[in-house]
Amino acid sequence: MFPVIRKSAFVLIFFLTGTLLMMLTVIDAMTKQSSTRDSLNQRAMLVKEFGLSDLALSTEARYTRHLTLADRHSAFQDHPTSFDHFPSGSIFLPPSQLTHD
Amino acid sequence: MIEFFRKQAYLIDFTMSSLLRRKGKNFGLLLVYTLIVFMLASVMLFSHSLRKEAGIILQQSPEIIVQRLVAGRHALIPAEYIQKMGRLRGVTSKKGRLWGYFYNPVVKANYTVMAPDHLDLSTTEVIIGAGIARTIGLGIGDYFTMRSNNDTFSFQVKDIIERNSELVTTDLVLISPKAYRVITGIPEGQFTDIVLSVRNPREVRKVAEKLVQKLPDIRPVLREEILRTYDSIFAWRQGIVFVLLIGALLAFVIFAWDKASGLSAEEKREIGILKAVGWESADILHMKFWEGIIISLSAFMLGYLAAYLHVFYSSAVLFESVLKGWATLYPQFKLVPFIDGLQIATLFFFTIFPYVVATIIPIWKASVTDPDAIMR
Amino acid sequence: MFLSPAILALILVSAVISLMLILASGFAIQVLQKWNINSGSELQLNLERRTYLISTLLIWAFASELISLMLFIYNAESMSGQFVGAMCATGVLNVNEWGWPTLFLKIAIFFSGTIWLALNYLDNKGFDYPLVRVKYLLLLLIVPMVITEFYMQTRYFMEMNPDVITSCCGSLFSVDAKGVASEVSSLTPRQAIIAMYGSGLLLMLSGTWYLLRNKGGLLFSLFGLTAFITAIMSIISYISLYIYEHPHHHCPFCILKSGHDYAGYTLYIPLFLATSLALAAGTISYWKKIPSLNSSVAVYAPKLVYLALIFFNIFYILATWWVWQSNLTMESIWQ
Repeated sequence: MFPVIRKSAFVLIFFLTGTLLMMLTVIDAMTKQSSTRDSLNQRAMLVKEFGLSDLALSTEARYTRHLTLADRHSAFQDHPTSFDHFPSGSIFLPPSQLTHD
Repeated sequence: MIEFFRKQAYLIDFTMSSLLRRKGKNFGLLLVYTLIVFMLASVMLFSHSLRKEAGIILQQSPEIIVQRLVAGRHALIPAEYIQKMGRLRGVTSKKGRLWGYFYNPVVKANYTVMAPDHLDLSTTEVIIGAGIARTIGLGIGDYFTMRSNNDTFSFQVKDIIERNSELVTTDLVLISPKAYRVITGIPEGQFTDIVLSVRNPREVRKVAEKLVQKLPDIRPVLREEILRTYDSIFAWRQGIVFVLLIGALLAFVIFAWDKASGLSAEEKREIGILKAVGWESADILHMKFWEGIIISLSAFMLGYLAAYLHVFYSSAVLFESVLKGWATLYPQFKLVPFIDGLQIATLFFFTIFPYVVATIIPIWKASVTDPDAIMR
Repeated sequence: MFLSPAILALILVSAVISLMLILASGFAIQVLQKWNINSGSELQLNLERRTYLISTLLIWAFASELISLMLFIYNAESMSGQFVGAMCATGVLNVNEWGWPTLFLKIAIFFSGTIWLALNYLDNKGFDYPLVRVKYLLLLLIVPMVITEFYMQTRYFMEMNPDVITSCCGSLFSVDAKGVASEVSSLTPRQAIIAMYGSGLLLMLSGTWYLLRNKGGLLFSLFGLTAFITAIMSIISYISLYIYEHPHHHCPFCILKSGHDYAGYTLYIPLFLATSLALAAGTISYWKKIPSLNSSVAVYAPKLVYLALIFFNIFYILATWWVWQSNLTMESIWQ
């Protein structure tokens, strides 16, 4: 016969494991941060070398590829009142220098 | 003290048995709850790490990029603008850059073509980003073609930019300035924009102000603006996703409320019997409190852990296209995980807090009912 | 207006807490008018039942208020990249006139909350609920604070304007500027040290006196509050300088950053804990003359005083240690 585990002990073990695993994610994040520091630096160096200003997250439209270099009218490039027809335009905010002056 | 713990342990024993007696319903609740935590946590971890990474690598972007605007649109900038700027205090270098976009109709992808002058490229060579190489299946030594309005040009791929920098270079095509001018027809003496380096970060704003005074048709884009844009964009996008998911959250809260208030006849009888055998309202409240803790904490932990694995070990497969934006050419990258207390506290407020609030009143109602009213 | 999950969460929490407290205050008014422990009427029975609900609601509300205080500061810290001129939470709180009042209100609500919870705990120990009126009167005083906080916080986030060039800790907490913050910064270390350790000494004395003679609980609370204020002033005036190892950086928020070994947490957590314990101790000790509470007060009040003293001592030891281990020497400032 297996020894009967009390249900409260089971709950306790479950939560302790959960907490440990959550702490493990923090440790994992920190080790990954230090182990990938080189590749992060490499990316930073490429940014410096080519003077890049943006992340290549969405390549479809020029104002989402180079978001920070977009001018006020680039989303309306076809006609002043035509709607932005690239879907990615709807999930990017205009760059900070255009939203305030 | 020991007495207290023993009492709680018995209460948990009892709560667990009572939960397991209605397995289907409770596991259903747990599943939905975990799924909600999972979605919110995934969005959060993904955007936060991306935001951190952007903040670190874009720290190296140019201090000032000068564009010329014609009729409100970005236009080519003549090389004499560099002379016109004159000597500016604090500016260590001024350089015209040549770059633009190229649309490949065959694969329907947009490339960013750059013609840096410090690379040792012959006119027939290109270096391409890993994303392009993947999308059209090119290797080193293969030929890469670009069409201009009257001719087709072939280039040999000299190199492919390292894969681990895809986040910034996936769609780059590096080409010699000479070849670029031939393809695009940009005449000598014209640039796409001008980059200035400024030694002291405090002087950047002053320099930009002076530039605009001297040359009214230009627009300087500062590094701090680039950083600010990327800092706020991910927070904003997270916010949008959260607002959209609030619908799901509300549905869940109503579900939890309904489950807690519309106790089944069986549950009601259970409470009635407990009270009849001498449990006080406070004990029943405690039991229900443990029930809430067990369900919500389990859902929180499971959802969060699943989200962590999803985002950092499977590259957020489920919704990476939505988070990254639409395009044929995707960067493939492994995110460096960044976690902070703000994220976890926010997640807590979005998941556990509403659940507790929704169930508190129904639970109290259940706990104060008279036993005879139930068992009659 | 900025849309980020943390801001949404903060507004949501404030709204829900306000709602809970409005609910509770309706009940509180009923209690104040109709409570009669000797009556066996249905109304009285209902009221007694409902106290369970209200205390549970309020425990949750005040606990969430504490987390929301931390989230608020955290969030301000993390938004500092989005404003021109902001380098830490100070700059973000300065973005408009609602930032600081919201923070102060949150702290005030946290302390009032602990007082209320202590009162509630004590009241539940007495069989005849002797403090029920006092407790709900106090609650009615807390409700407007919570609602104002909700209003101020919402306006703070709604009116956040990215154009504003804010001033950060460097200019706000500087010796030459005007205003309360700079007055505090320009306290000489000598004055600040005398104030901090002096009030600490008074606190210890009154605590010991209470433990020996069972008298002066309220005085202990009062000294606790004074010690809290002088401690915050000292952090701004000189402790932060030693942590930053920089003779002119007076910011109370930057010490929370990883770059300074999270020193701030080692100071603020014991300090806030100790102060709330001291307030709770004084609140409880005041009711020792009520017969049904007499024995409970005799048990709990000394415990709370002990705990408060322990945490205050932890704070003083840590503060002294941070100063002592620092590489900064400030002969020039020590007149």
